[in-house]
Amino acid sequence: MSLQVRIGALAALALVVVAGAVALGQRSGSGESAAAARRMFAGIPEHGVSLGSREAPATLIEFADLQCPFCATYSRDVLPTVIDRYVRTGRLRLELRVLPFLGEDSARAGAMAAAAARQDRMWPFVDAFYRNQGRENSGYVTDGFLARIAGETPGLDVSLASEDRDRPQARHMLEESDRLARELAADFTPAFYVRRGTGRPRPVQPADLTPDAFTAALDAALPAR
Amino acid sequence: MTTRRLTLAIAALAIVGAVIAAYLTWAHLRGFEPYCVGGGGACERVQSSRYAELGGVPVAVIGLAGYALILASLLVPGPTGPTVTAFLAFVGTGFSAYLTYLEVEVIDAICQWCVASAIVMTALAGLAVTRLAAAETVRHDSR
Repeated sequence: MSLQVRIGALAALALVVVAGAVALGQRSGSGESAAAARRMFAGIPEHGVSLGSREAPATLIEFADLQCPFCATYSRDVLPTVIDRYVRTGRLRLELRVLPFLGEDSARAGAMAAAAARQDRMWPFVDAFYRNQGRENSGYVTDGFLARIAGETPGLDVSLASEDRDRPQARHMLEESDRLARELAADFTPAFYVRRGTGRPRPVQPADLTPDAFTAALDAALPAR
Repeated sequence: MTTRRLTLAIAALAIVGAVIAAYLTWAHLRGFEPYCVGGGGACERVQSSRYAELGGVPVAVIGLAGYALILASLLVPGPTGPTVTAFLAFVGTGFSAYLTYLEVEVIDAICQWCVASAIVMTALAGLAVTRLAAAETVRHDSR
């Protein structure tokens, strides 16, 4: 075999090895993340945009854009701690208000999140979206992309959600979030507010998006135990 | 360049690559932001992205293992050695190309350390091919 052919064969074999390793790694990583997400939400009641018991004495309202990288960071790094320490213990109920203001991709993602909320599956849908978040406004939020993310969301009827996202109810849900954001002057994401009972929501301003910094700010905003 | 000099050049480059990968591994495992000339947080953004791990293994660790394997392949005797080194360098270059694509097109941030590693790996592939050709010439001449 000539040297050129050998080098070509080595390069082709290397390409196959790289492609195989990347595909295997991504599949296994995505499977692990999906399993972790299932564990994170397991057994917690979900109603529309809310996660947690209706009896909780306080509600943490989060305004988020699904394209916002810091919202994804919060969801990945802080949310599991918030759920374990506050939601599972009945101290807090979470409310996710999607504000699709970054562009067309945000609007399409927000509409699908609202459709998922109609099936009480918004939280796992948003979690799956963040795990697959792409480059901002690159046009990656296509019908196929949304169908894939919806398919990764346990318990979500994908075809129903795809139909619902264009319906007035989904639009109304997003308009309601926008109205609340204007009322609270929430003009960035992620923005957090705690509402005690039926009182007016007050801002929670963590020094950083880490579990320690966030829970310190949250503890200061919550009623003493 | 003689085969021996090529081997030494590959070893030197592989050590440089291993040091870069070791630093990024350390940063990933200890959770600190790698030093970035000019700041801007691009390295931190790449390191904290979901692409910083593949199948649960930090990419920096995979790079470190790759450079170590290239170094080890230099010890393989006979005509097989240069072939193994070239194959490993091709795999490393392909992997670096994939990671560079992710930085540019998906993460939208360029980590200088990753760029340095990609350059080292590409240079290693070039040297490994040259060494393979040189070893072949020596083999033909000695027949």
